[in-house]
Amino acid sequence: MSFKSAVITFPGSNCDRDALCYLKDLTKGEVHNIWHEETSLPKVDLVILPGGFSFGDYLRSGAMASKSKIIDEVVKHANDNRYLLGICNGFQILTEIGLLEGALIRNKKLKFLGKNCFIKKKFKNNFNLSIKDNQILQIPVAHNEGNFYCDTETLNLLKNNEQIAFEYCKGEFSNTEENINGSIEAIAGITNKKKNVLGMMPHPERAYSDFHQSQDGRFIIESLIS
Amino acid sequence: MNEELILQHGLTLDEFQVIRKYLNRDLSIEELGIFSAMWNEHCCYKTSKKWLKKLPTDNEIVIQGPGENAGVIDLQDNDGIAFKIESHNHPSYIEPFNGSATGVGGILRDIFTMGARPIATLDSIRFGLIETEKTKYLLNGVVHGIGHYGNCIGIPNIGGECEFESTYDFNNLVNAMAVGHVQKDKIFYSKPKSIGGLIVYIGSKTGKDGIHGASMASDVFSEEDEDEKRPSVQVGDPFMEKLLMEGCLELMSSGLIESMQDMGAAGITSSSVEMASKGNVGVYINLDKVPLRQPLSAYEILLSESQERMLAVIDKKNNHKVREILQKWQIDYEVIGEITDTKRVVFESNNRKVVDLPVEIIVDDAPEYDREFYIPRKRKNKDFDFSKIKLEDMIINLLTNLNYLDKSWVFDQYDSTVMGDTIREPGQSSGIVKIHGTQKVIGASTDCNPLYIRINPYEGMKYTVAESYRNLIACNINPLAITNNLNFASPLDPNIMGELVLSIHGLKTAAVKFNTPIVSGNVSLYNQTNEIPIKPTPVIGMVGSNMDLNKINTNKFCEIGNKILILGKQLTKNCSPYLLQDQKIAFNICEFNDLEVLDLDFEKKIANCVLELSDLKCIISCNDISRGGIFSALLKMQYKDMGFRVKVPDPIDLFCEYSAGYVIEIRSKDFEEVTSFLTKKGAEYHEIGEIIKEGIEINSKKFDYFDIMNKYRNDFEKIIS
Repeated sequence: MSFKSAVITFPGSNCDRDALCYLKDLTKGEVHNIWHEETSLPKVDLVILPGGFSFGDYLRSGAMASKSKIIDEVVKHANDNRYLLGICNGFQILTEIGLLEGALIRNKKLKFLGKNCFIKKKFKNNFNLSIKDNQILQIPVAHNEGNFYCDTETLNLLKNNEQIAFEYCKGEFSNTEENINGSIEAIAGITNKKKNVLGMMPHPERAYSDFHQSQDGRFIIESLIS
Repeated sequence: MNEELILQHGLTLDEFQVIRKYLNRDLSIEELGIFSAMWNEHCCYKTSKKWLKKLPTDNEIVIQGPGENAGVIDLQDNDGIAFKIESHNHPSYIEPFNGSATGVGGILRDIFTMGARPIATLDSIRFGLIETEKTKYLLNGVVHGIGHYGNCIGIPNIGGECEFESTYDFNNLVNAMAVGHVQKDKIFYSKPKSIGGLIVYIGSKTGKDGIHGASMASDVFSEEDEDEKRPSVQVGDPFMEKLLMEGCLELMSSGLIESMQDMGAAGITSSSVEMASKGNVGVYINLDKVPLRQPLSAYEILLSESQERMLAVIDKKNNHKVREILQKWQIDYEVIGEITDTKRVVFESNNRKVVDLPVEIIVDDAPEYDREFYIPRKRKNKDFDFSKIKLEDMIINLLTNLNYLDKSWVFDQYDSTVMGDTIREPGQSSGIVKIHGTQKVIGASTDCNPLYIRINPYEGMKYTVAESYRNLIACNINPLAITNNLNFASPLDPNIMGELVLSIHGLKTAAVKFNTPIVSGNVSLYNQTNEIPIKPTPVIGMVGSNMDLNKINTNKFCEIGNKILILGKQLTKNCSPYLLQDQKIAFNICEFNDLEVLDLDFEKKIANCVLELSDLKCIISCNDISRGGIFSALLKMQYKDMGFRVKVPDPIDLFCEYSAGYVIEIRSKDFEEVTSFLTKKGAEYHEIGEIIKEGIEINSKKFDYFDIMNKYRNDFEKIIS
């Protein structure tokens, strides 16, 4: 059975093409691009909410996109136990919809951050199965609001339910930071309780091809397919 | 018409008389506004035209030279590359965030107006000394603005330069460059095709922002002006631009429009007049149809520089389809006029013709000046005293000078990997992106050596072009063409005019030799405040390619134990301007010796050696040698805690500048092959050392690697915050 997937495009999405290429190249299966005003979603294994500045990030990052027509279908898709991945702005949208806990606030230094970061997996789930414990992945980030925040009660729930998928860490060499954006407990990505929905700030779709600086972004799709 | 009003519009009384005589009637205030917008330096190049005409603008790969929204070169297989650089200096001083943001927005529109999808941006920014009160505010604002706009629209920023010098204390420079990819058979031009075509307005509503922006950009500043001129700075909305870009590219690829013109400087006036002029036709526009943000007079509509607006010509039959596509992107769209056969520009408002002018008088009769200029005096040669200079101090001088420190603080605020095709990010000698879906790569670099050009404008400009050239060569990118941004002070000063004339001449000499024609550009004059002129700063943006991404060199060290070789010719220490300036040996511009003549044939010879050795996979990493000499080049090459051990006859040699200078890393096993190749080519080389782990060692003296690297990487942020 071939792996089917889809990418949602909102006005202002700018990583939709990157996500489409990522899926086409790594899944070799059918990939759909869905406009935000659509009211139906094909039956697929994985939906990606891509990065960018949906609706200009006006009001609050992801807030307006979370009210788009297609979102009802996205929620149904998730409730159907199928995979949903929000990358960067997609992660922000998922917290705005309420599919994921917490919120993404402005980076600790109050500046946009576009650079390579290092992450490792915290708790095992279907998105990071093929990544070894303590394996350090190099993946770019590009965000202004990537500082994950939640209250203590929620944080304990996330830990107890093993919903923390990725955390920022130091790289192999000097001059790399432990926690680039000030996220609580260096959280880089979380899942929902059922672990079929993942939101992450780093961009795996910019780190998979041979010419990219790193190919570590492959692991996520490889984990899902295996 | 009273004189004061004419002068307020930036026209001289002589210029006004020319118009008056031609028309043989009085002008309406709207017409005066049009001449103000079209006859200023920014739009008609009245000072520089005579000299710009001398530049080489064509060769076998040029598809479109200067004169359109951007130049386009041919990259085989129906791939074209559109690129251009443009300044937003004055607005960025008055309002750094919006000034620089709209600079990026404007240059991106220039690119997609040609039917090209932007694939990279670069920026060349210059500020005053960090000790100057306003510099931190300007730096923060400009970097934030560039980042905000480019990040949101989603075009990777792949490089540029950022320098600090007292000459820019009251005139910071912001030059933004953009590169786009276009299919050769789908290039769009501003020339309309048919009489009767509908003129349509696409994009944001028109507001009061930026009224008189273009004439402001052609004016000398005094400090008190600043607050008064703030309303002339446009406000950008990158989200709108993203929608506009996607909407326009969709219209173009569906073949629904005939031609397109960005409403940039001088807004609807400039875009419609240029449309008429290019097509040798007339335009009729009803200003009542223009979508407005607030009630505006005809005069204000004509001169507004509100951002994210386009003017296009479509066939009547496509009106409905165009509207449908733009509705999907939630973009305002209105038919506002049509192409006529009158060769006149007619604007109507409230059933009254407020403007009715022949295109000829606005465009063809625009003034062109042959301004007086002086050639700088010959410099006397003198020997400087280097006896007191210690190696430790030289290193400290570099590590306490912002110009030498790692600029991650700047480019980490830019998204450089969006679009997923970035090969080399900022911080390397040139930025490189892949053309989507191919193996081809485009490299680009921006450069200027204002100190060199002040010393000797002609030779200095040759060095500037050569530096850009080397930046590309170091990555194994074949240099192809140039865009330029000539930033100067007031050309009414014959000394400054002399620098302008001679540097254009130097640009011509180098561009002809390297076969890199100038395909687009921009001139920014009057960069002076309180009568303090900036140093001549003609910035070069050079673009090149390699058909195979696997052949690209890195600028970063790859392996411990590999050998370090130097190619090129060292400038003597008495003739290394940046050495003298930055090591605090020469202070005043009159003290410097003249530049050594740059041998462009030698540049080409060494460059060809680097390209050939790279193709043979003998070069493991390579960097060019520029300001700060070999030492600075080596610092930039450090990576993954690898350092270097070198031996040189005199430590000062490590800080001298070079012609055709490159640092190359090679494997020991390739040493024979590389050196015999170089000998055969007659290219001198010096083996100076090797790559070591976590160390910096010069002539057996060990330095604290982590201390130096920590300063190099992190002190920029400390100094500027």
